[in-house]
Amino acid sequence: MTQLNLAVIIKLEPDFSEGSVSYNPDGTLNRAETKSTLGPHSAVAAKAAFYAKVRYGARIAVTTMGPPMGEMALQQAQQTCDAEELHLYSDRIFAGADTLATAEVLRAGIQKLEDKADIVFSGHRASDGETGQTGPQTAWKLGYTFFGNVIDYHVDVQTRTITIKRIVSLQGFYDVVEEVQAPLPVFIAIDPSYKATFNTVSERLAYEKYQKEAKIRADNYKQYLKVFNVQQLGVDQTLVGLPGSPTIVYKVERIPKGKANRKAEVLDGSNPEHIRKAVSKIKEALSAMVIK
Amino acid sequence: MTEGKYRHVHVVMELEDGKLVPVSLEMLGEARRLFDDFNKKYQSNEKVIAVLLGHQVKDLANQLIEYGADAVICADHPELKEMRNTIYTKVICQIASDKDLATKIEPTYGAEFKRPRYMFFAADSIGRHLSSTVLTELESGLASDINKLEINDVTITHQSKTAGKPVTYEKTIEMYRPDFSGFLWTTILCLDNKNPAIERDYHPQSCSIIPGVFEAITPDESRTGIVLDFIPTIDQKDLAVKILSRKVIKSEVDFDSCKAIVSFGRGIKDSPDENIKLIEHFAKVLKAEIGVSLPISKKPFPVNQSLSNNYMIPDRVIGTSGRKVNPMVYVAVGISGAIQHIAGMKEAELVVAINPDENSQMKDESDLFIKGRMEDIIPLLIEELKKQEKTVEA
Repeated sequence: MTQLNLAVIIKLEPDFSEGSVSYNPDGTLNRAETKSTLGPHSAVAAKAAFYAKVRYGARIAVTTMGPPMGEMALQQAQQTCDAEELHLYSDRIFAGADTLATAEVLRAGIQKLEDKADIVFSGHRASDGETGQTGPQTAWKLGYTFFGNVIDYHVDVQTRTITIKRIVSLQGFYDVVEEVQAPLPVFIAIDPSYKATFNTVSERLAYEKYQKEAKIRADNYKQYLKVFNVQQLGVDQTLVGLPGSPTIVYKVERIPKGKANRKAEVLDGSNPEHIRKAVSKIKEALSAMVIK
Repeated sequence: MTEGKYRHVHVVMELEDGKLVPVSLEMLGEARRLFDDFNKKYQSNEKVIAVLLGHQVKDLANQLIEYGADAVICADHPELKEMRNTIYTKVICQIASDKDLATKIEPTYGAEFKRPRYMFFAADSIGRHLSSTVLTELESGLASDINKLEINDVTITHQSKTAGKPVTYEKTIEMYRPDFSGFLWTTILCLDNKNPAIERDYHPQSCSIIPGVFEAITPDESRTGIVLDFIPTIDQKDLAVKILSRKVIKSEVDFDSCKAIVSFGRGIKDSPDENIKLIEHFAKVLKAEIGVSLPISKKPFPVNQSLSNNYMIPDRVIGTSGRKVNPMVYVAVGISGAIQHIAGMKEAELVVAINPDENSQMKDESDLFIKGRMEDIIPLLIEELKKQEKTVEA
């Protein structure tokens, strides 16, 4: 049986959990004070790859573009998915990249992995940028078939085909679960709702074994880590970082307060009469005829 | 830059089961408004072009003209019946680079035509990915989740784009996207590199547009436009994906059949567990469904696992990144009132806010603003609701 090779693209992101996150008085994120961590969607992608390790004994590589600190996120992801190979693409020239220029670095990096990736995983989107574009853009550059919002997958290792379930949400319409089949290689962006289940005894035993191994590997993650700068990656310098970014951030402003749509009657929560009034109004509104 | 190289806006239509998804018409409406201004301002005659892919969908073309398109390019093919990213990307790119189509739309500039000036996609789970792959193939820039657009001449001094010298970029589309906090607007521009060292054109300037933000125009049957058939070149290797099944699912969170919705935001943070339980109780008494603001779905505080899994989830988000609701009663608990949230609930009949801060933006969006802490107010509301319930029964 030919081995299954996986790559997971992850990102170091601001940690939005209480105690780590810091907001400015105006409600915006205080980036300087906020800690960094493995992005939550990246973590789901790593879990989804680990599923294939447990089920098919796949080999996993985790890759990221970012500052040297990015190795922290790689270590966290390794602990989740028991990766054999970690890649950090780090160079000052990569700074300021938009999604297209980021995708170029990731493409080059994934093509430098020891074994050609059969499936590349990414998270749904980053929690800070929130574009969700880097995954599909990297996929297109790699020439891999792209699937987004993936909630489940199975691989037929013999025939090198994958069967995928994905959610298609169309606002103002219903949601659809689509089941599709494609030959490898593919690139899948994992939906936040993805959950791996291990049903058989052998799967659960494998799960425990690989988890133990992951812990040991993550404790010695440097041994698995390769860092690449722009030369080592061999990318065209005009296609990465600022020079390779079609888009720029022109300005950032506070969203102006829209004009008041309603005129609120202000009630005092400690006045029983006001509470009574609020409830009466609510009851009145609820008993109105429904004409939709 | 010659005048004819980059022209028009291509608006990529989205269909589900052969029917137009609402955002398709919303995008056309915004493109129409922008181009009416554009053509006046620049004394030009550039077109709003709807790009329609599918099978047996040509009947929709007239509707698209009524909704603002000057031209509809229709790629009707059995292999395009279902949306598959690879083949859709290829066909959209073929259309975007086709000189014959451009000549039929505008004979004067057809020979020079290279790419559309702008491209619009929907920011949903189809358009988001499709825009990404299309713009990678066309090697140009893309901004996501846009809720405001303006076209202007802008003068830029940029280290990389202009080698630090001021350059005026004509007809630049300013693409505004709200950030995750809902308080900041970032304007993205897609600009050619004018720096001699790295000179490169980046067209089309493209974005994905948040559904529900823009309004479709009132359809006008007297509008005229041209409908062009496009016969796509289809490579068998781009058809490797097989769709095995498609099942419509209904979310377990049912905002539509409940008369009331109680939503909560970051204001629960002092004691999240207790407050969510309190809101749960309140919603039960009110027979309401529970919604949340976007930041809550990112699980910003540690909360009891089952409460977190039940409530702090994307499925419950109300707003532009979630669902649009129109209940009889909407109670906003500890919600600051970011515009994305407002966009999701502004159609509610009665809006009640519970908030200690009278300066909160939520006040301008409520009919009743109950000032105070939710911990104090909700128990009183529950008690009073039960009391009034009994009175009615008696």
